[in-house]
This record gives sequence, structure tokens and C-alpha cells, in this order.
Amino acid sequence: MLELKKLEEYLCACMNSDADFAEIYEEEETKEIISMLSGKVESVNDTVTAGIGIRLYKGVQSVYAYSNSAQESEILGLIGDLTGAIGKPDEAGTGKTPEETKITLTRVEYENRHPARIDFRTTPLEEKTALLTRATDAAMAVDPRIVKVQATLLNVHQDVQIANSEGRLISDTRVRTRMMAEAFAKDENSFVSGGDRPGAGMGLEFFEETLPEKIGEEAARVALVNLSAKDCPSGKMPVIIDNAFGGVIFHEACGHALEATAVAKNRSVFAGKLGQQIANTCVSAVDDGTIPNAWGSENIDDEGNFQQRRVLIENGILKSYMIDRLGGRRMGMEPTGSGRRESYQYEPTSRMSNTFILPGNSSFEEMFEGIEKGLYAKKMGGGSVNPQTGEFNFAVGEGYLIENGKITHPVRGAALIGNGKDILMNIDRVCSNLERGQGMCGSSSGSIPTDVGQPAIRVTSITVGGTANE
Amino acid sequence: MNKELWLKAAAEKGFESFEIYQAFHAEKTYSWFDGQLDSFVTSSVTGTALRGIYNKKMVGFSTEKDDDSAVVKVLDAMEQQAGAITSDDEAVIFPPFEDAPEPAASSRKWVRPDAAQVKELLSQIEKKILAYDPAIRQVSFLQWTEQTDSRQITNSLGMRAEDTGYAQVLVAGAAAVREGEVKDSYLEEVIEDLAGFDADGFVKKLCEDTLAKLGAESVPSGQYRVIFKNEAMTSLFAAFSDIFSGERIGKGISPLAGKVGEAVFSEVINVVDDPRCDKTVRLMNYDDEGHPTAKKTVVDRGVFTTVLHSSRSAARMNTKSTGNGFKSSYASAVDVRPMNCCILPGAKTLEEMCGEMGDGIVITALAGLHAGLDHVTGDFSLQCSGYLVKDGRRDRSVTLITVAGNYLDMMKRAVCAGNDLDWKYYTIACPSVAFAGCAISGE
Repeated sequence: MLELKKLEEYLCACMNSDADFAEIYEEEETKEIISMLSGKVESVNDTVTAGIGIRLYKGVQSVYAYSNSAQESEILGLIGDLTGAIGKPDEAGTGKTPEETKITLTRVEYENRHPARIDFRTTPLEEKTALLTRATDAAMAVDPRIVKVQATLLNVHQDVQIANSEGRLISDTRVRTRMMAEAFAKDENSFVSGGDRPGAGMGLEFFEETLPEKIGEEAARVALVNLSAKDCPSGKMPVIIDNAFGGVIFHEACGHALEATAVAKNRSVFAGKLGQQIANTCVSAVDDGTIPNAWGSENIDDEGNFQQRRVLIENGILKSYMIDRLGGRRMGMEPTGSGRRESYQYEPTSRMSNTFILPGNSSFEEMFEGIEKGLYAKKMGGGSVNPQTGEFNFAVGEGYLIENGKITHPVRGAALIGNGKDILMNIDRVCSNLERGQGMCGSSSGSIPTDVGQPAIRVTSITVGGTANE
Repeated sequence: MNKELWLKAAAEKGFESFEIYQAFHAEKTYSWFDGQLDSFVTSSVTGTALRGIYNKKMVGFSTEKDDDSAVVKVLDAMEQQAGAITSDDEAVIFPPFEDAPEPAASSRKWVRPDAAQVKELLSQIEKKILAYDPAIRQVSFLQWTEQTDSRQITNSLGMRAEDTGYAQVLVAGAAAVREGEVKDSYLEEVIEDLAGFDADGFVKKLCEDTLAKLGAESVPSGQYRVIFKNEAMTSLFAAFSDIFSGERIGKGISPLAGKVGEAVFSEVINVVDDPRCDKTVRLMNYDDEGHPTAKKTVVDRGVFTTVLHSSRSAARMNTKSTGNGFKSSYASAVDVRPMNCCILPGAKTLEEMCGEMGDGIVITALAGLHAGLDHVTGDFSLQCSGYLVKDGRRDRSVTLITVAGNYLDMMKRAVCAGNDLDWKYYTIACPSVAFAGCAISGE
């Protein structure tokens, strides 16, 4: 990481232009991915990502440059490109006094909310591969129809430092651990898979509570359910979406459309709707980047602002958007600590952290009352949304048919589609069983870790795309 | 990076062979919004991926730090990796290929505009889009990108390979509003020389596509005759392109496992993988292992003829690499990937295909491809949009429907491939393809 004096010098060079704000983001990340197929270690990949990103603003115009080089000549070259693009001083100068371009940085200290105890970088490889063996063995032991297990361990240690022309200098260390297990089940008719992918913002101590055996067994359980599943019927029907990764529905159907990226340029169905009812009154939702050691948490965002707990919807009323620094300028609102990015190779923009619907009052049994024919989506796959139109889709990873208020048999191949603004109004029951699940969210600033979450919710009518020819 | 230093140190450490792969990427992106330059991004990144064979095990380490002093630490880490790997895979680093075919050369003649020309282009496109129709309310995306990519492979066996690619692309999006309904479309075009660019034609296509989406409704669920328009067919074919991978076939997790020589698609489908195809933006004379590439017929009149291989997957199946060992980024492991792979075009236009279909649906876009398909079974269920065809002619637009089925079953029901193959900047592309029947879910 660059020294304070050097950062001040570079920021001063940035501000000796028409820019009214400058920021330098530095990053060094070590990532280790260990892959095991049916008990044999296939590969160990270590990657060091290291570079610098420099950003200048003039009003709502933004220019950004990045490089993996730490050479002074390269950095000064980038600054030259940026000041040239945003407006260099002419013969009359920038109109700024030397005092106005002088930057004095002050380091911001704070208490780390997300400490990590067991560092993967100093843990012997055999201890890490043993975790994968435990998950694999447990999955294979569930049933003889489990014929193959792919298990992957992901470990990340990321150091970031952010300095800006407002004099702020701040650092963060993010540690993340995740295991992904996929079990393959086979019988005389089918060959299917099932997975489990838990993770957290902590070190290898994650596996003290989340046992690798449980991860392997859960992957095997889902694969076996899918083995006996029938093709899913199609059409509009009531759907119960269970907790944890089921929250991907809120993430896709609503979360992305509440990001300043979409709202600031009036490209969201929820633009201009603060204070209005956008969801059924039983729905309250938050985006909380402060949860200790959660997968989507961090002390500060990638613009150097502290992460926050943002109440997005309260009893159906839209309360807040998720706003990055540039989005805030466009919207005339304060940033909410939501500026995130995959790496220095992306300009930060407004992103989610840990986003979830808050618990409601219904019991799990009450959710099923009165449903003649519907779908119970116990586990969701991924999905996507077009924030401009609000249209979203996502895949059901483990689903069951509901007939006369009871779960009858498992179904596979289901997709749920709809429009975000409609679906939020059509949630009529919210259960009390809140849990979160882990995922990777893709958007214009890259792929970042986020938690999704919710208690089980009931949607009165949603289009189910199934593979059954009914 | 002092490559000789690294190769020498690796040899002294006991590596049987050692490879240094470097990828350089530089990009300039201009984004336009509301009458002015919205953002400008410039970049220059070199990534280095090291691979070595130690005790017959392949190990890897990737870094963006240009730091020769780390050589001892990195080689120690790679040695430890070798001790942890228990797979029986044969590890291969290739020597130079003395009999490699002559490299193909791109026929592209890029004329690079300066910043002022780019800004003028974006300004004009924005004005033309907004003036096209009162229902067009917003230019939702407008961007010019210039990117340069280079690869260099150097190894201890004497391999020295390098190449460079360049592309410049215009992407625009428009949003239309009518009675509260919002629809948007995007269009991209690879432009070799602005002097030959038809801005009016580009804007017309984008705006007409956007306006046509207004008034879209769902349809009753049922079996429909369907044409996947070229862009939609490309996205589905690309999402399932890993079914040809020797890596997945060798592991038995591709629906094409054990099916070489069998009719797996309809006889109207021919698939060719040609990394040296000069109609594409990225012509590849060698793969990311330095193995020479070649043109291959993957599916011949519906019959699966060629499994694509890297060195690892080929060794597993006791055969030779097809030169398809490619990485998704410099830091990722070598995988098996099609490169400049397409369904060969037929003779008919989309209009002629619609005429033959009579009544049915043309699917123009698919969503949810990263989640809504099962790569093991080939089952899929995807959100899509497009338009109805009645008596062979375009009728109203359709949205919020899903198309579902099994990919192999569907490809067996293909009745015609159109003549509209368009590579744009893709490495996988398809013409429009008509199918006898598909399950559509709607109302």
C-alpha cells in the first residue's frame, strides 16, 4: 500500500484539474481455491490480485483509471489520462488556489466488527483438504445412489486502502471462507445433482460451527430429492418460497431496483417512490452490511464509508434506497455506505450487502392454509432482473407440489417469473423463520459476495414455468 | 518480469517443466448520458499465471504483482501444492509444435477514432435515438469501448508463443414508455471504421426493436411452434456449449457422455468449432496451453463427431488435445472451451422461416441463463420474450413467458437453421433456428 505522503501527492495532482473530487483505491487480495472430486484433490489455485484504481469527479461526471502496476511513472500516467479527460488547467490555471489543491490526509481508525481467527494462509494444506474429505465422505455415506461429489473450498483475504481528496484515509481487511459441495445422484432413470454452498466473513473457524459433514449431507439430500422429482407443472399459482436463499426473490425482484445505479438515472420501477407503498403491509426489509462476520458484511464500503443497516421497506412503505457516492450526487442524497466493487478493476457503484425480509407473524403451517394447488420452493437457484422493466426470473433448486394445503411430491425444472412491483404487493403471508443464505451478485461493478435472506413468504399468484407437458 | 530468472529457479527447485503465461488487457470506455460524457474508464493490467509440473502433479499460481523477489516464496507454495494433489491426472506442458500449421491472420482493418470523434459519435447517436419516436423516452445505455488483449506463453521446453487482438464496439440501449408500460432493448455493433458506420440504420434497428416490445402480453401455456431468433439461439447454445467438453464428458456429467457417433441433434444441425475463423473478432492460432488450434466439425448433420479437449481431458480419455484448452481469465485454470464455434447457417431468411412456421412464437431474448438450466441433464426452464406469428406474419409482442424442456430433446426437433449467423464480438454464435414444438408457460 502507498505511503500517506505519496497518496497526498497523487491526490494533489488529481485535483490540479477541473475535478472536484478524487479518490485512490488500493487492493491486495490473496485467494485460494482447492477442488476435490470424489475424494481426490484435483487442483489448488492461488491467486494474488493487486492494483490501484483512481477516480475523479466533476459534478456527476466520473473518470476512472486502473492498473496492476505500482510504478510511480505508471500511476502518474494514469493521473495524466484522467485529468486530461476531465479537463486540464488551461493557461489561466484551474482557478484553484494552491491551498485548494493541497490534500492533508487523516487516517480513520475504528474497531473491526468482523475479526477472523484462523488464517488460511498459514494453515497447512492437508488441514484444508481434510475439510473437503469430511464433506465428501459424509455425502457419499448418505445413500449408495450418490455416485460422485465435487467439493470446493474458497478462502479469501483482501486488504483495501482508500484515500480521497476530502482528507479521508481508511483501510479494511476482509476475510471470507466458503465451501461448495455438489453431490450427483444416479438411478436407472436419472442422473441429477444437488448442492449446498454456505460461507461467512470469517476464517477457517467457520467450520467449527458449520461442520463440513453437514454441507456434504445437505448436498446429497437435495440430489436424492431431485432424483425422485417429477416434472413441474406450468401456469399461474400460489407459491411458498422458504427462507435462507429463498430471499433471492427479494434480491432480484426488488433489491436491484432500489440501487442508486438504477434509481439515479430513472431506470428503476421504484424511482421517485420514497414514502409510497410498494409492497404489502406485511413486508419489511433491510440491507444490513454490519452483521458481524456475515458473508456480505464489511467494515467500510469500497468508497471508504462505514457500512450501515439500511431499512429499505417498512410495513410496505419504501423508506430508503442503497446509494453510492456518485449516485448520491445525482439524487441529491447522502451516500448510504453502499459503494462496492469486485476489485480495483471496477469503478464502485451502489450494491447490496446482506439483504433480507424481516420475520413476520405466520407459523410455517399457516402458510399452506387454503392452497388447493401450488408450489413450495424449499431451495432457490439463482436469478436475474431487468431493473428498467422490473421483470425478473429465477430457478427453483428444490421444489414440491402443494395439493389441498399439503406438500405432496417433489418437482424439478421449475422457474418463477414475474414483475417486481407486482410480486411485492402479492406477498400475503410472512413466516417467522428468518434465515440467510450466501451468494455471489453480479452487476456493473463485478461479482461481489452478498447474503440474501427471508423467512418463508407466500405469494398469492406467480407464473411458474415447468417442464411437464400439461 | 525476468522470465529467465523464474525458469532457472524452477528448474533448480526440481520442477520437471514450467510455464509462464502472461495476459495483457488495456481498455478505454466512454459512456454517454444526458448530453454529456458520463464516465470514462482507462486501464492497463498485466496478469501472470505460472504453471509447473512437480512430482508429476500440475500446480499453479497467478499474480498481478510484478515482483521477481517473490520467486522463492512462490515456488515453495507451488511445491506444497504438489504434495496436496492426489488426483491421478496426467500433467502435460507442451514443447513447441514444430509442425504447427501456418498462423491465420485477421482480415480486420481497424481505424481507431480519437476521443473527440468518439464523443461526437455518442452525441449524435443519443440525439437520433431520442428523436426517433415520441414513445422513446430514454437512452438507457450508450457506450464505446476499445480493448486490446495480448497473450504470451513461455515455457521451459522452449515454447514461445504470443498474439494480440483488438476490438472496438458500440453498445446502445433505448427505453420506450406507453401508458405506464416500460420496455427496453440493447444493440451492439463491432465497428472497424467509423467512416463506414450506418448510424441511422443502427438507431432504426434499436428503436424499432424497442417499440415493438410495447403492448406485449403473455400467452396461454401450451405447446407452440417456435423459432429462436439468432441472438436468443446464440445465448442458449452458448449456455449449453459445455456439453461438448471432454472435461465434463470424461467425468460423465455431460448429457453427451458416451454418445460420440450418435445422432444427438436433428440432421439440420451442423456445429463447427474453428478458432482460426477470421469472421470473428478474436482469432486464436493456439489455445491457452500453446497447442495449435484447428477447424473441427463437432456435429455433422446431427451426429456428434468430435469431443473438444484440453491436454488434461484428452489424457483422461486416452486421446489428443483438440487445441481447446482455454481459460476464462489469465488466473483461472485451463478448462475445455469452444472457440469461435457456431451452428452453420442455412439458406432461409427469418421471414421465410416464419412463413413456413405459419402460427407460432419467435423468441428474441432469454433471461436467467446462469441459473435456469441443468448442465448434467440438459433440462432448462427460462424466461423469454419475443412475438407471436400468425399466418406467417409478425403479430403482437409476447413477454413474461417461459420456455422449458430438455436441450437434447429440443435440438432433435429442429426443422430449419436460418441464414442470419452474425458473429458480432462473440466466440459462439448461431443463426435463427426453428423447432417443431416447445413447451411455453404463460397465463
